[in-house]
Amino acid sequence: MVAVSVSETEAELTEDERAGLELVRETGGIHQSDFWKELDVSSRKGSRIVESLVEKGLVDREDTIYNGHNTYYITPIARDLDFTLLMAGDMLSPFIGEDEVDPNSDAFSQWIMNLAYEE
Amino acid sequence: MAFEDLLEDPVIQKYLHELVGPTGMPVAAAPPDGEVTDEELAEELDLELNDVRRALFILYENDLASYRRLRDEDSGWLTYLWTFEYDNIPENLEEEMYRLHDALEDRREYERNHEFYLCEICSIRFEFGEAMDFGFECPECGSPVESMDNDRLVDAMDDRLDALEDELNIDADA
Repeated sequence: MVAVSVSETEAELTEDERAGLELVRETGGIHQSDFWKELDVSSRKGSRIVESLVEKGLVDREDTIYNGHNTYYITPIARDLDFTLLMAGDMLSPFIGEDEVDPNSDAFSQWIMNLAYEE
Repeated sequence: MAFEDLLEDPVIQKYLHELVGPTGMPVAAAPPDGEVTDEELAEELDLELNDVRRALFILYENDLASYRRLRDEDSGWLTYLWTFEYDNIPENLEEEMYRLHDALEDRREYERNHEFYLCEICSIRFEFGEAMDFGFECPECGSPVESMDNDRLVDAMDDRLDALEDELNIDADA
């Protein structure tokens, strides 16, 4: 895979695509049937916008059933997540690099103390 | 160098540091474009070949590097050509957010369902049962242990769980 900067790709979006991407990021995830209504475009246009954002790797899309209909659920890609939620003070989640997660480990106690008293 | 935008993120820097350690960090922090051999990296970064290989292997184990092997026709030696796969970093960190979320849920349950006693001198916390076994005296220094409320810990865990659920679209009631 070639590492194209995300901001470069985003700079080339049409106005509708940009609004669509913004909507997906704001909601954190939205059904395609709500997506086009929220954007105030036709369903056909809505699906074309999603198609294009998926192709550019800016959103993820998966099949789902919603209100009894087959539709898609559109979510932001992992790159947009707020990774600072792994931090407590200046300490990273102690489970990183570990195979096992022990919720009662000393390292995790320390992490929680940081969370409670340093933020 | 590739993946500059990812490597600017301080959490990602910390993540890589956590994986490869300080000696491996020069390798992890400067991924070249395209393929590279361990010897080239050692030369370029002025590092011991073993340290370079160790870092590359850790990255490989975490899906952050891949290699292909080439056999030199004359010498018969194998050459490893490495590619950095840092596109996988966001997915890895997403997975870590889920693991953290689950651990926080378990730990919050434990914190809610137990009573704790603290030795303020040694800063050691005991569960009620432990404290009772020790006659409510710290086994280290002998001073009496005091009942400790953990509301602040639980509140902090509540807040972070809410934030993680919001960010990962986890339905808290599910």
